[in-house]
Amino acid sequence: MSPVLTLDGVVKRFGARTILDGISMDVSPGEIVCFVGPSGTGKSTLLRCVNGLEALQGGRIIFEGRNVHESARSIADVRKRVGMIFQHFNLYPHLTALENVMLAPVIVHKEAKPAVEERARALFDKVRLSHRINAYPAQLSGGEQQRVAIARALAANPHLLMFDEPTSALDPETVGDVLAVMRDLAEEGRTMLVVTHEIRFAVDVGTRMVFMDQGKIVEDSDPKEMLANARTDRARQFLSSIRG
Amino acid sequence: MNPDWLSYGPLMLRAAGLTLWLSWLAMLIGALGGTGIAFLRTSRFRGLRLLALLYTEFFRSVPILIVMFFCYFGVPLVFGFDVSSFAAATIALALHASSTMSEVVRAGIESVGRGQWEAAQAAGMDRVQVMRYIIGPQAIRVVLPPSVGVFITTLKESSLASIIGFIELTKTGLLVRESTDGGLVPLLALAALYFIINYAISLVGGRLERRFHIGSRSDLVGAMG
Repeated sequence: MSPVLTLDGVVKRFGARTILDGISMDVSPGEIVCFVGPSGTGKSTLLRCVNGLEALQGGRIIFEGRNVHESARSIADVRKRVGMIFQHFNLYPHLTALENVMLAPVIVHKEAKPAVEERARALFDKVRLSHRINAYPAQLSGGEQQRVAIARALAANPHLLMFDEPTSALDPETVGDVLAVMRDLAEEGRTMLVVTHEIRFAVDVGTRMVFMDQGKIVEDSDPKEMLANARTDRARQFLSSIRG
Repeated sequence: MNPDWLSYGPLMLRAAGLTLWLSWLAMLIGALGGTGIAFLRTSRFRGLRLLALLYTEFFRSVPILIVMFFCYFGVPLVFGFDVSSFAAATIALALHASSTMSEVVRAGIESVGRGQWEAAQAAGMDRVQVMRYIIGPQAIRVVLPPSVGVFITTLKESSLASIIGFIELTKTGLLVRESTDGGLVPLLALAALYFIINYAISLVGGRLERRFHIGSRSDLVGAMG
């Protein structure tokens, strides 16, 4: 099967600081790739490069056969097919949960409102928030907000979902609800990139674990395999430190 | 010894209407112009940013009266056509209001967190859509209160138009005073009328602010997002 996403020698610098130092990998349809590693090693930046929130200083990213960073037009096209979930949810505070989910399909994808609303309501069922459909983000808990954010990302029928530390800003008791929704998505066979510190989730749900350190991919293997016998000292140390 | 003050009432009220009209027009042009300047201030192009900064600093630093003189006396000298005192006053007040409004609007845009831009862009919105659907509606809450202040300032400064001969509220009050016995009453009436107009603007502004405010905790979330 041809890859959904190909990273080819991706380099990202902020001034003199190199954040991504030649990242290359392929992602096949249905893969759930969990990125782990110490903070500041470029995991989030990597996701942000995929949908053009960050420009590249070297290499290229191919999404569904298209060079993402070729032009403003190509970035716009890719964003229509890639859903992103942020650590701090970034819901639109002036819109209700339903409006948050419906906005992009209506104004970006130019779909008819009734059809979008029907799909949005189904998505609220899926993330188990049908009863909160008319709430404003400020009236929702962190876990609820993040599930609305997931529904918002799904509303555009994306071919790839990217989660940027989706549970890091949550109260411990709401983390489970969000992870449960992500598990459902994984079972649907969706292609997902997940930056996370939830090793349990990565091992149970992930099909592949990528350990990054200092802007490089250090190890890339089956999650259970990596957890049991990491090949490098750095990966072993890191994994044991966050397993507690 | 008592002139019939009430007979001057309609005159004063009509003059108050003119002052309100002049200030409203200046404020409208100033708000639109200021928004344009604010966009230039956040432009990707250094030259445009510099130009906008120069504009803002210039009109903020030069007295409105001097600008008014330039419009009223200067334009006929340089360009050879006459400018009415009404037009000169409107333009001068609008130029000044736009320099203040550009700062107000810029602060409003910058008050919306970077995460909002990113979420909207990641969803595929272009810059215009992000502004219209995401940043604008949130910025308006920050922009509105100081805008009311700018409007009130503009209305008070509009009394300067009397100096270039536009017969607005202040000038009318002074004329009434000259044609009567020169007492305090016309001045008190002036003060009262300005107060009533501006207080009304404050009240309407307050109502608008409440209308645009969404959710009691939304500011907190806006700061987070």
